[in-house]
Amino acid sequence: MNSESVKAEVIKQVRTQYAMNNARELIEKVNEHCFQKCIPKPGSSLSSGEQICFTQCMEKYMSAWNQVSTTYIKRLQREQ
Amino acid sequence: MDAVSLNDYDLDKLNDKDKADLRQFLNNENQKARVQSTVHSLTDMCWKKCVTGAIKQGKLDTTEDGCIVSCVDRFLDVSNLTMKHLQNLRQG
Repeated sequence: MNSESVKAEVIKQVRTQYAMNNARELIEKVNEHCFQKCIPKPGSSLSSGEQICFTQCMEKYMSAWNQVSTTYIKRLQREQ
Repeated sequence: MDAVSLNDYDLDKLNDKDKADLRQFLNNENQKARVQSTVHSLTDMCWKKCVTGAIKQGKLDTTEDGCIVSCVDRFLDVSNLTMKHLQNLRQG
């Protein structure tokens, strides 16, 4: 490996690692909040209602994440 | 996807220019990671405040959406206020 390819490899691995950390954090939060919302009383199996709620909750949490991100970044740019 | 393992020997091959490039790249990525980490904690907090009813659809309704925007902005107002107050204390 030469310098160029070592650099490219480091960049690739760092990007992958960061993307994975970000995804892991999001998945943890979705599970936590949507379990709370959709499965108030855990039964012997997941009902179809609970599954539908969970799917919608997941989409909703991601929209909330995107809205927070947009709002926060706009604010950061305004305050610079 | 298999990651090529980079050992110390490989990193020794980096020339000064590529080292500087990597330093810059890592600074940028760290800054992005800090922003993302704030977004995670703000989403956590504002979800609790703004999405209070049962989940009926996969989208945010207009009230929830507006609440989230205000939640983020007011939280940042408050955190600026804290900084200002602390600065006053220090100078006072």
